[in-house]
Order: sequence, then structure tokens, then C-alpha cells
Amino acid sequence: MYDLAVVGGGIHGASVALFAARGGMDVVLLEAGALARQASGTNAGTLTMQMTRAALIPYALKAHEMWVNAPQWLGHDVGVVACDGLSLAFTEAEEKLLSDRAGARSAAGAPINLVTSAEATRIEPGVNPTIRMASHCAIDGYANAYLTGLAYRRALKDAGVTIREYTPVTGLAASGTRFELRLPDQGITAAQVVLTGGVWLEPMLRWLDIRLPIKTLVNQLSVTERTGPVMRTVLGIASGLLSLKQFPHGTVVIGGGWQGEGNRETGHHRTTHASTVGNARLAVHAIPALRNTRLVRSWTGFEAETADALPIVGPVPGHPGVWVSGSVHSGYTSAPYIAHCLTQAILGRAPEMPLFPMDRLLAPSLPEADPFSPEQQRVHP
Amino acid sequence: MTTAFDLLVIGAGPAGGNAALEAASAGLTVALIDEGTAAGGQVWRAPRTAQATRNRTQDPDRTRGDDLRARLAASSVRVFPATQVWDARPQFHISCVSDDGAQELHAPRLILATGAIERVLPFEGWTTPGVFGLAAATAVMKSEKALFGRDIVIAGQGPLLIAVAAKALDLGLRPRAIIDRSHRGDWLRATAGFARVPSMLATGARWMSRLALAGIPYHRRSEVIRANGDTTLRSVVIRDLGTGATREIEADTLYIGNGLTSADELHRLLGAAQTADLLRGGYRTTRDDRCRSSVPGLYIAGDGGGVYGALPSAMQGKIAGLSAACDHGALCETQFAAQVRGPQRKLRRLETFADASCRLMQFPQDATPRMSPQTIVCRCEDVSRADIEKAMDDGARDLNQLKHFTRLGMGPCQGRMCGLTAAAILSHRHAGSGTDTRLTPRSPVRPVEMTQLIGEFDYDDIPVPKPAPL
Repeated sequence: MYDLAVVGGGIHGASVALFAARGGMDVVLLEAGALARQASGTNAGTLTMQMTRAALIPYALKAHEMWVNAPQWLGHDVGVVACDGLSLAFTEAEEKLLSDRAGARSAAGAPINLVTSAEATRIEPGVNPTIRMASHCAIDGYANAYLTGLAYRRALKDAGVTIREYTPVTGLAASGTRFELRLPDQGITAAQVVLTGGVWLEPMLRWLDIRLPIKTLVNQLSVTERTGPVMRTVLGIASGLLSLKQFPHGTVVIGGGWQGEGNRETGHHRTTHASTVGNARLAVHAIPALRNTRLVRSWTGFEAETADALPIVGPVPGHPGVWVSGSVHSGYTSAPYIAHCLTQAILGRAPEMPLFPMDRLLAPSLPEADPFSPEQQRVHP
Repeated sequence: MTTAFDLLVIGAGPAGGNAALEAASAGLTVALIDEGTAAGGQVWRAPRTAQATRNRTQDPDRTRGDDLRARLAASSVRVFPATQVWDARPQFHISCVSDDGAQELHAPRLILATGAIERVLPFEGWTTPGVFGLAAATAVMKSEKALFGRDIVIAGQGPLLIAVAAKALDLGLRPRAIIDRSHRGDWLRATAGFARVPSMLATGARWMSRLALAGIPYHRRSEVIRANGDTTLRSVVIRDLGTGATREIEADTLYIGNGLTSADELHRLLGAAQTADLLRGGYRTTRDDRCRSSVPGLYIAGDGGGVYGALPSAMQGKIAGLSAACDHGALCETQFAAQVRGPQRKLRRLETFADASCRLMQFPQDATPRMSPQTIVCRCEDVSRADIEKAMDDGARDLNQLKHFTRLGMGPCQGRMCGLTAAAILSHRHAGSGTDTRLTPRSPVRPVEMTQLIGEFDYDDIPVPKPAPL
């Protein structure tokens, strides 16, 4: 029997497992595939404040500091680069959007200020000079998301976590004061359980007869071949639908939440023609030098979103000993710190910053959620 | 411009060209897409230079190519030349680019005739400038009637070895040596299969005797273990597979190939079922005797679905074209049966020939464990055998993990050159563990020029979706 079973080996689950093991718990981490191969390994790795929801800025700021210091606490490199971030406005409407959003994020604590096109061009010489203005944040940067699995695996091993990859959990039931987890071969028991299944949190919560719709976004990304330096910042546009950065080895990753297609029932997801072309056009408009590159790969990954697009992090109501963590918008950035706070609660301490209990999404007056009903899907922003 | 057709055919080589012609003559509207500027594919390649065009010396591949191009020109097939397919979605939406920008073509049926790519068993120094593929040599000779290098060594295995050496001799380029992995016995065994197509056997025998008469040193049961040089090739070191004896041969150019494998990226993107098959180049896409894949409406012809060679591919193309026309309702079962009989009979005869040829070309899978630690496996990202071993020490069990841990397969070729070799190393360590030894297929299936992808556009016309929540 384990002190803690973590179900889902993405960045949330891996971080909670790591911190809990370092806190003295005997931890097993269960993952249906390989560690950090879904959203946590396929996202753009952006560690930005300018695409983070205002309510999450305080967490993201703490987490950004953690990412920059990853070699110290994680012990392994995920290729973090800290740099300036710019969000661009090319139209009057975007200027308005930019000032509104920069204002709200700045009020939440992000060091974001509006700059003229001349200042923006000084900060990022590669930018399209036709910009009208930009918002600048000195705290920005990126990690190499595909290294997440490798870095965490090494850290988890060092911390003594039992890693079980390719081990899908198919059920969870309370048995006295402990929990039994159903696995393909034989089950395991644990005193406490954390569900960190990303978009699969919805089916996981159903094991406990809790119906909480989690919308599945299919984000798509593209990468160019290695090229000479074309930019030095993390770049976005006011709407948030572009994220652009050049990695030290020369490739440029193009993202921003353009939607591919797919669903979590089959687990399949793929890019679309329109999103690939649209996203590439936006990227070339922002950094004209990208015109001379070649696109070598596009890919997609799931992102989970609750009805209010805010996280569910905390105890599962009615099931003491079961915890949940996920649906954190821009979750990759904030994950290590949010996991740190949740682990404090699991270890019986007061979390440094408030969690995001899921109770708010389970109001008893609401009709029972049916994940397959189209009406239900339209409720989400 | 029309973008909807009854049938799309990708690849205008022997398979795709014939498939398009059969379907069009049955009355289907057909689009034939190829990245080359003219139909013909690799083997029936059209000449590019004036010198190559003038050269009409009894090359049956050239004659067959010219015939295919003439028949296409006289047909109703809509050819999209210099058009590169980069993605395919079910029920079939094909994304492609050309100098006109990006566009999507649509049809309820699709024939994939994407051909093969060459494999090379990595050895130390194989990324040195001056080392080329055998198939690359044939492509250059067909289109340019020329070959790079002065002191050339020709190495590898299979009929291409002899073909390239003999044609180099025709160009006045005397190979310094031929290095053949195969035994004399391997060739003798193949002769029985080759005899099923006497004209091909005769051509092969003529090449062999020409090389023997010219006194070109021929090293049997030998392999290249190292290419020396930095910015240019200086020499190659060869090793006798029997005795282990090595020797160094000075050369400025090495042509080397270890067989072919299917260019099956689109097959995999569309989810067509496959079977591991070393003889056919690694994997074969499952198809019935009418070339239908496991995906409804998707037909497979030619080497892209498993390597057979140009002539069987042409027959498979005809069958696939007739099969698509029949499923479309343009041919009744009786008409189909009558028309498909000829190609099917020829295909059966050619398959014995193909098997003999493929056996000689079969990739030396058992040689991968002997690769030295410093040998580069992924040449785009400089990932060595030792890097792969280290990633496996770190727990990489499948090919996607190997990619994440090392960047293997993340460069311009997207794992086409290294994927199967890395998989062989992985399988050697984790024999029988059943983990996934292929990379998840991704678009674009070939690198896409950004200018072609974005075309002409106005910023205001980019369909930017609703902003993310604040």
C-alpha cells in the first residue's frame, strides 16, 4: 500500500508525486502512456504572463521563478530560457484589446507595460515595423516542453517515486480508509489519491459519480527547421492567438491556440489545413524573416478547460483523501507552483496560496451534466 | 478552379500514372498530383537537361516514361505538377502547396502511389560531403545524364549497385571499386527469379559482363565501415564480412544504398493498417487483391505500400485505378473482371522477379547492433548510436520517447532516414516488449516552404478566432 497514488503522469501529476515523495510519502505515479507525452510534452513551452489568465498571474509569477531555477529544485534541465515578452497590436481593435488585457494583468501583479512601436522594435528588432503598439513584460521565456518527461523521470527516480508507465487506471473505489485503484493486471491500494488526468479528469471523476464537464481543446503547433537568428523574444498578439519563439538550436515554434480536430474518447487529434495556414500567416506577419524558412512539423495536443476556464485544484468534495489538479489555463507555466501548493495541502499543511476547489462547478441546482450534449458544450467560453 | 474530383492520385510514377489513366478512361474525373515537374516518378524519370533529353540510347525506363507522359497528355487526367502534398485527412481532403500557394483538393476516393525512399545502413563518416545514395545516382543520371565525382566507389547491395556502376561506365566514369554485401550465391539464387522476366535478366547480365570486361574491382561479401574526410571525401574503408580484413580505397565520391523502404507517411496519417515486412522494405500497407486498404475509399499502389519495383508497381497502379472506377460505379463487375485480368496475370509473373530483387536489397537488420557508438544515426540532428543507448538507459522505451529525449527525427527529414534504424536499435535492447517502434505520423509529410504555405494574404483576412479568456 502506498501513501499516495497519483493518476496521470503529466506535469501536474509528476510535480505532485515529486514534492510528495520529497515530503516523506511513499508515492506511486500511474500513467496510461509514457510520462509527459500528452499536453505536458506537446505544448509550446511558453512561460509567459501575457497569455495567462489574470487570476493565475500570482501563481504564474511564482512558477516562472521555479522554472528559471529548475536545475536547483528539479535537478535536471528542461532548457529554460528567460527573456522579454511582447504582445503586439496591428489594428485599432487590437490596441484596445491590448491595453485592456495589459491593464488587468498588470493589476494582478505582472510587470507588463505598454510600449510604442519604436520601443518594441528596439526590444525585438525582428518584429514587423507596422505594429501600432505592444505590451512588454520583462518576465517571460520558454522551456523545451519535449524534455519535460526526461527531466521529471530522472527527478522522480532520484526521489524514490515508483513510476508505472503504460499502466492505465480503469477505476477507483474507497475501501475503508484506503482506496483501491483498478489496473489492467492487479490493483493497488493507497491512503490518498490525486487525479491529474488533464482532459481525462472528466471520466476519472465519474469513477466517484461526480459529473463535471471538461472541455477538450485541440491546440496545434508548428516548428520550422533550424535557421539563423530571426528573433530574441517570446512574441504574441493582443488576442493571444500567436505564440512565437526561437529556440537556441535555431528552430522557431509557432503556436497560439489555433484549433486542430480530435476528441478524448478516441485519443486521436490532428491539425487542420486552415489552422496551419492561418497560424503560419500570423507568424510571418509578426516576424517577416520567417518567410524564408521551411515548416518541418506540425502537431497537436489536448488542453483541458472547465466551464469558467479556471483550474480545479484541491480536495474532491465528499471523498476525503482524494484530490484533483488540472484544467489550469496556461497550465504548463503555473504547474510546478500549483503542484507545490496542492502538495502542501496533501501533506496536511496550509497551502502558500489558495487552491481552486471544484465545488464552485458542482452547484446542486445545476442539471446533471451530460458531456455529450451539444448544449453543454456551448456553455463554455 | 476545380478542387473536387471523383478520384485523387498522389504520385505520378509507374503506379500513380497508370492508376490515373485507367480511372480516367473509365470516366472518372481524376487529379494526379506530383512534386516533380513531369510525370514518371523516380524510375521512369523525365530528363531535365537538353543533353539528357537527346540521349535516347535504348533505355527502356526512358521509353516507358515517355509513353506514360504522352498518354497522360492525351487523357482527361488533370495533372498537378510541381505540387507537394503535405497533409491528408479522411474522406479525402488533401493539402498541397505549389508556387500558387496552399490549396485543398477533395475526392471521395484516393490512390496513394507515393513510391519508395532509399535506406542506408549508417557507418562512421556517412554524413561526409561526397557520400550519396545509389538511388540518388540513378535519379541524377536519368535527369542530367551526368554523375558527380571522379574517383567513385559504388557500394551497398542489390540490382541498383550493378545498374549504377554500369551506367557510370557508360558516362566514361570508371568506378574504383564495387563493394557488394551479397555473396555470389545470393545472386545465383536470385537468377531463377530474374529469369521470369527475360529482358530484365538479359539487361542485368549485360551490365555484369560489361563491368567484368572493364576489370572493375568487385568486392563481394564486403561493406563500407568508414568514410574518411572532412569537407570532402578522401577515402572509404571497407571490410570483408567473412574474414574481417579491412582495406582503404581512395575516393572523392561514394554511392551507397541498402535497399528501399516505402514512403508511407500519408498511409499512416490516414490510419491505414500495416504489417511489418522486411522483404518489402520494413512495413507493408495491408491491401486486398483490388488494392483496397483498410480505410474505405483508400487504395494503395506501388512501392509506397511495400517495395516491389517499377514494373509490378505499374500493374498495381492499373488494378487500383480499375478498382476505384468499379467502386465508383463507372465499371460493372463484369467489365472490371475483364479489364483487371491482364494486369493481375502480369503482376503475378512479375512478383517472382520482384521477390528476387527485394531479397538482394533487403536491409541488413542484423548489422545494426554492430554499429559503433560514435556512428551518427539521425543525421539531421547529429544523434549518435551512443546518444540512443543513453536515452534508453534513461528509460526511453518507444520511438516517440527516443525522439523527445534526443531530438532524433526532429530535423528536416522527420525521421525518414533514421526512424527504422533507431527502431532496430530499440528493438534489439527491448526485444519482444511490444512497444511502439514508429514515430507518430505528422504533417507536413515533407518540409514546406513558408512562402508557398502562406501565399498572398491580407492581415485582416486571417480568420483569427475569438480571443482566449482573460
